[in-house]
Amino acid sequence: MKKLIIPFLLLAVLVSAQPSFTGPMLAPPADTRPDTLRRAYHTRVDETLDWYLNAVDAAKPLTREQALVKLVRGQDATAVSQRIIELLSVPQSGDMFWMFPWTAMAFTGRDQLSPEARAAIREAWRTYFPMRGDTENHWVMYYASLFLMTELYPDDPGETWFNGKSSAENHAEAKGFLLHWMDLATTIGQGEFNATHYIGEYAIPMLYLAAWAEDPAMRQRGRMMLDLLMAELADNSLHGVLRGPNARTDDTSVLERWNALATYFSWAMYGHTPPPSGYGGWGIYFAVAAHHYQPPPLFHLIATDREFDREQHDHKRSRRRWRYSDVEMMPVYKTGYIRRDYAVGSYQGGVTDPIQAHVWDVTWREDDPRGVHNTMFSVHPHASARVLQMYFTEYPDWMIDLLASQGKPSYGVADKILGCSPYEQVFQDLDTVIALYAIAPGENFQRVNGFFSRNLRDVTEDASGWIFARGGNAYLAYRPLAPYTWDDLLGYRQLPRGDSGYVWERFRPEGPVDRILVSPHANNGTIVQAASADEFESFEAFQAAIRALPLEFTLEPRPTVKFTTLRGKKVAFTYGETPVVNGRPVDYARWKLFEGPHLNAELGSRKITISHGRQHRVLDFNTVTTSDYVTP
Amino acid sequence: MKKKYPAIPLLLILTGLLAGATPVHDLYLFGAVNIAGRVAGSRDVAKNGVYGRQADGSFAHRGINYPAMLTGSFDPRDSQVFHVAALCGVMTTTDGGHTWRIGTRWDMTEPKSVMVDPNAPDTVYAALPDGLGVSTDRGHSWSRHENGLPERGKYTQVVTVDRTQAGRVFAGSETGIYLTEDAAHNWRRVFPAVDTVTDIRQSPHDPKHWLAVSQSAGALVSRDGGLTWTPLTGIPDQQALYNVAFDPTRAGRIAIASWSLGLLTSEDDGATWVFRNDGLPEKHHVWRAAVDPDNGRLYAAIDGGALYGSDDFGRTWRSLGMEDSRIQSLVFVPCAQR
Repeated sequence: MKKLIIPFLLLAVLVSAQPSFTGPMLAPPADTRPDTLRRAYHTRVDETLDWYLNAVDAAKPLTREQALVKLVRGQDATAVSQRIIELLSVPQSGDMFWMFPWTAMAFTGRDQLSPEARAAIREAWRTYFPMRGDTENHWVMYYASLFLMTELYPDDPGETWFNGKSSAENHAEAKGFLLHWMDLATTIGQGEFNATHYIGEYAIPMLYLAAWAEDPAMRQRGRMMLDLLMAELADNSLHGVLRGPNARTDDTSVLERWNALATYFSWAMYGHTPPPSGYGGWGIYFAVAAHHYQPPPLFHLIATDREFDREQHDHKRSRRRWRYSDVEMMPVYKTGYIRRDYAVGSYQGGVTDPIQAHVWDVTWREDDPRGVHNTMFSVHPHASARVLQMYFTEYPDWMIDLLASQGKPSYGVADKILGCSPYEQVFQDLDTVIALYAIAPGENFQRVNGFFSRNLRDVTEDASGWIFARGGNAYLAYRPLAPYTWDDLLGYRQLPRGDSGYVWERFRPEGPVDRILVSPHANNGTIVQAASADEFESFEAFQAAIRALPLEFTLEPRPTVKFTTLRGKKVAFTYGETPVVNGRPVDYARWKLFEGPHLNAELGSRKITISHGRQHRVLDFNTVTTSDYVTP
Repeated sequence: MKKKYPAIPLLLILTGLLAGATPVHDLYLFGAVNIAGRVAGSRDVAKNGVYGRQADGSFAHRGINYPAMLTGSFDPRDSQVFHVAALCGVMTTTDGGHTWRIGTRWDMTEPKSVMVDPNAPDTVYAALPDGLGVSTDRGHSWSRHENGLPERGKYTQVVTVDRTQAGRVFAGSETGIYLTEDAAHNWRRVFPAVDTVTDIRQSPHDPKHWLAVSQSAGALVSRDGGLTWTPLTGIPDQQALYNVAFDPTRAGRIAIASWSLGLLTSEDDGATWVFRNDGLPEKHHVWRAAVDPDNGRLYAAIDGGALYGSDDFGRTWRSLGMEDSRIQSLVFVPCAQR
């Protein structure tokens, strides 16, 4: 099973000054004039490129990334040509993660490289047989690269390509998949939505299409999809930090929300948060073509304007299900609510991605999010070979062991805090989340894990049953519906690789540790209510307000909650039933592709309107047009 | 009109036996070496894909490095032509594995099994995770032939062609065993299941005798050409069985591979079963079992380990190399096809 790349693996990043990562916390640019934003964007792109160039050591051969940056800057084409020939003179690896870097090299260097270097690149596409992978982002990288390379070499016969297909055949197939993927994303929603790392695996190929596709329609589509990705990132980020839910994330980013490749894009596009270390690893491959793109100013406003509260509903979809399911892709009903001090996000629960989904959380703003675990949520630690088989075309009995060996150490452990469960159902109304659990007998882990960050302040277990805490300028109330105990959350440390792949050990981090609220009961639930500290006279006043909220619940035979939220909504939610708000069942059938102040689209429409105030951008994939207008 | 050659495999085997110790079959391995922890994008440190048995019994890599080749099926007219079920689709080579063409497109991926119809060898069937693909032009192009398969519930792990009749094919899927007798134009379910049927094999001694193994329903037997199936007793059904192999050299000898259970054998046509894990590594995760049609040697491919061979049908074992491998399948091809 060849699932994922750990993005940072690729690059042996040299340690040198990385200005924005190591510098002080960035503030949103105060000057939002278009020319200022454009200049600032290009400055950030150049910072990324410069960092790689500054790491060039004359005594060492250029890395692939350094060679590429030199081409971007138009430097040393002769030496770079020779280095490319050297790099390609050994057996190649990397699959689709090999394809897009060499696509970038081919296009960036097409007018600079020596004929021999260009021939070496071209020959590598005959002799190296990259795998297509089994995940949507794999395919997007694979086919976008193939689309571009077959435009660069349009008339070549099948024997000159690794897969035996002619340029025309490959081009047509690549186009077919890319149009299919774009159609899915703009009719029923993206599959790997709001991914903390995999956003790069979509954004980079789309940028390359936008930059280099000869087919004007595909060039335009690439730019439109990139617009959509960056607009969603802007809309789903809290001061540059992408919060939950996430179709896919990982054990680090799910806690330290800032520490993700997505943050590189927030930084590069909008400049209001520091980039991650090494510019997220893959960030360089965006930077090398980033001058071909710039987000419109209205995206910048969406990303940085947090002065009014907003709720957004989106329709997404699960990863493709191969078996053991009546549906090929489960619909995902996603809710996001963002305020200045915190964000609450969720979808309805269930299994959407077998390993790395993150269903809901409250993420609070930190003035400097670096190193901070600024989030709160609960999960059922579900691990199931049958669910894995639903999504992967593999045999059942070795898969759970395999995941740890492939770099996902938490999948099969009891105290994991990453992943979704078929026994979790979630409802969110504004800044209230109710998560209910009915864990089937025989499941490995008959417990719910609540995540309590080391960065919370004033954690108070109240006699009422609520647990109060402060995170940043947010007040948080967490109500476990069943008895619980506390455990420290240990980290995962990678040991030298053995014969069986990655090997891990658990370890206790230095300093304050995160805690897990362990509630070992199959029928269970969590209620979280968030608020801004500015809404109350004091933390005690917040606590009093929460205690006063009407709450009834039972866990048998099924978890049932009746709760009046801090915002005055009367919510009734029973596991297995449709949530009811103020007496009206939530109508998921009317959920739109996007609905909110910033993104709007009808399900199936292929037409997304992105707005901020009076400014609007319409991405119409039916007519392959982008149109901007301003409301009078 | 398609011809029937029901006795071809048996004749080839007998020819081999009469020839004495000289192998009359080539042995091909499909799999990967040293890929523990490999994920998409990893650096490969070994050659993967197709391995062929050498004259000295060792195995040599041939052709491209491709870590996710599952199994192959050879054109009976020319063993330089074979089709492989791989992660990227069905790949076909016409030069013994040196160059390849992916015949399928983006809308068919991750085939789990592929098989040439020996009586209509231009036709190739592929088990797909979402149905069934058919090529009628030697793997150059593919289309879906799924009439009779359910809309959902057609994850197909294995496809096996009846050697006695062109166009008679079994598909092992997540909802049972399906049969077509008109080259996949129409399918009907002949055995219902709630979990994936992982392998289906036809006896080399009796074409009406078929065996199937499954993920949670144990092993199944058919004595009427696959029209009806009944459970084989004495085999655990709580763990997935990966494949089943007949001994072409001796009727009644059968082997079953299981990652969790190891290797099981029967020497009385499935009436009784014995674990044959003594002599295999402690973690006897057997990914594939096979029996050499030339001499009855039993093979067990240990996941993450080596390929083991037994000349006494599992009583004693010795390593045959291919350490740190995951051998997805072993395919014997008559040398006469070269």
